[in-house]
Amino acid sequence: MSKRKRPEKDQPGLVDSEHAILNAIKARKDNGIWVRDIKLETKLTDHVVTKSIKSLLAKNLIKEVVNIQNKGKKHYMATEFKPSKEMTGGDWYVDGNLDKELINVLKQLCMRFMRAQKVATLEGVHTDLKKNRVVTFEISSQQVAEILNSMVLDNDIIEVKSTGLGDYHSIPIGATCYRIASGIAARGLRVGAFASIPCGACPRISICAPVGVISPSTCVYYTKWLDIDF
Amino acid sequence: MVTPHGIQLAAYLISSSYGDLCSKVCECLLRRGTLTLAHVIRYTELTRENVINCLRVLIHQNCVQAFAIQQEGAYGVAPRIVTQYMPLFDNIIHKLRAPKFMQIVSEELGNDCLEIFQALIQHGRLSINQIIDRNKQTADSSNVDVVRESFNKLLNSRFVERCPAPEPFLPPPSEDEPTTKKRGAKSKIAEVPKTTEQLALSAAAPMESMRFLMEMDDHSEERIEESSNSTTPGVKRKRDDLTSEEDMLDVNEKKEVLWRVNFEEFVRRLRHKACISYVKSRINDEAGIVLSAVLELNKFSETRQKAENSGYLSINAIYDEVIKKDGGLGMDFERVRLSLEQLGCQTIENGIDESYSIDLKGIIEMAQNEEVESVIMKRYGREAYRIFRLLSKTGRVLETDKISDTAFVEKNDTLKILFKLWKDNYLHMEKVGVGKLTFLMWRINKEPLSVHVLDEMYHAVLNLRLRITHEQDQGKEILSFPREKLVGELGKKYKLLGKVRVILESSLMNLDEAIMLFHDF
Ligand code: SF4
Repeated sequence: MSKRKRPEKDQPGLVDSEHAILNAIKARKDNGIWVRDIKLETKLTDHVVTKSIKSLLAKNLIKEVVNIQNKGKKHYMATEFKPSKEMTGGDWYVDGNLDKELINVLKQLCMRFMRAQKVATLEGVHTDLKKNRVVTFEISSQQVAEILNSMVLDNDIIEVKSTGLGDYHSIPIGATCYRIASGIAARGLRVGAFASIPCGACPRISICAPVGVISPSTCVYYTKWLDIDF
Repeated sequence: MVTPHGIQLAAYLISSSYGDLCSKVCECLLRRGTLTLAHVIRYTELTRENVINCLRVLIHQNCVQAFAIQQEGAYGVAPRIVTQYMPLFDNIIHKLRAPKFMQIVSEELGNDCLEIFQALIQHGRLSINQIIDRNKQTADSSNVDVVRESFNKLLNSRFVERCPAPEPFLPPPSEDEPTTKKRGAKSKIAEVPKTTEQLALSAAAPMESMRFLMEMDDHSEERIEESSNSTTPGVKRKRDDLTSEEDMLDVNEKKEVLWRVNFEEFVRRLRHKACISYVKSRINDEAGIVLSAVLELNKFSETRQKAENSGYLSINAIYDEVIKKDGGLGMDFERVRLSLEQLGCQTIENGIDESYSIDLKGIIEMAQNEEVESVIMKRYGREAYRIFRLLSKTGRVLETDKISDTAFVEKNDTLKILFKLWKDNYLHMEKVGVGKLTFLMWRINKEPLSVHVLDEMYHAVLNLRLRITHEQDQGKEILSFPREKLVGELGKKYKLLGKVRVILESSLMNLDEAIMLFHDF
């Protein structure tokens, strides 16, 4: 029943089925393998697979890992591998979940630094984060760049090129740097004219018609909006 | 830009000002494009007389432009001249903006001018004599000189312009064009290149030198008007059933020069206003002042409709204009320079001269983006906002996982959000197969997106208008009470009604300001 090809030397104390499963798992390296695929590849019965996996886990030869692409499916990986980025989702994922709390804390720290500095480069922010030891792990420059980039997307800060003058005097001309956009800081996010009326925010605008079930004269969003404002 | 909801809105506006029949004719033209009288009659199923009357009203109100083309006759039949009617969508939508236009005139030129202007808004087209007559009837003490002077002020500010020729003739293209295979105007229309309407508009437009020119002698006007008409005198009109309506529709019978509101000027101003208010909130007040100074200097070099980069202006000229503006007096060269820089101006320095050019198009684009993004934020939430901004900034296709990683949104949520945005026409999706795997690639298509947003905005304008009507209907009973009875509970309700109306009306005006940003791009 076991496969003829055995890339690994025999692990002592393993039965054939365990060998077969271990090999199937190892073959996938850092991508892990789904239980169903183990069954398909080894052609073993459910019962044998389950039992063997248990035994391999106990011997600390394999581990269970979460696959971000499909959290519901159980995946296994040989102990010597570290899950690939595709599996874990990358640095910002913990157990298959995006670590939003960490991201938010980092954003706030960057923002605080930026408020004090007005303008800052990526290196500047990175150095500050390291120096203040606000995070317990070794944060990479790449990670800080990702945080800053997401703050740009949030429209909290803007990316600019240094002019070498004024606030930029300490930054070489033409270098990419970040600053809090002047207008936004003082006034908060500007809401467009369309977005400030019910129809702009309305998820049902595509089915709303003058004479229809959903229509402006019977619209509850309007009723609510006009009421709230008084 | 004519969009489905734009047509609905236009039809609504026409119906509330000129009745349902006009609205029907107008909608027919908007939906089907330029048509002959016969076709309008067939499609609307109205009587010939009704259609002619409606067209007359619509032409007079600058909502329709007539023009004549030569139509090939079939097998040995001589070509004949056929009159076509084209709808002027933008002008119809401008009905909505009349209060804004009037406010601009009243603020800049005062009451005497406003009165004349109001008459033009109401009547569409008037000759100077008609204006004077009207003034005699309405004003207590009318002075012809005052009226003429006010009218000249309106002309100088380009608030009014000479009406276009009533029915310019478009000569057939010189090259041997394939002749129409089928009979009838319909097949002809289908084959007419898109630009026919534009050709007709430019043929109808008065010469630029005459557009804002008022001749002192009314008789000389006549001659100029006639010669500036593009109807080619050499072409003999073949009289038949189809073309005989021209006589009935000839709005220029009296051969007096007719004047109308110059919408272009107002559109330009309102668009500038929208840009300035965007810059004020985005950068700061000073940048707003500098921008308005540059726009002022650039006023007459801007071409008809399109906004582009301003020409290069010297820092001195800009500074001189800045200090004329409210709040600009305290600014020095350094601060003007700083604002110009914040506005993303291009600069050239050659020794003594230092000039700047403003990228107006870029500013408008940013304002447009902001408008769309804030809709995304309200409708789909912050994560969608980040995703949308990512795609908008990148400007090319991105794969789902890449989007999820960069925007810090959970993979599954990312896919859900992307699908929602795609379903609602905010994104474009492509499936790319690599081996067994399929990847979903996402992109923002700027052009169709702007059209979609504009359409939704027109939809929202119509909804606001309908809601205003609805609220008024609701309050009819209260409004019918005499003032002195409006106390206690009734008084409260009355006040509430007023507040609701103010909110709705001002939202309508603000929304329209945003529409201006999307206008004509
Ligand atoms: S009227 Fe009401 S239902 Fe219709 S689009 Fe506006 S908010 Fe939505």
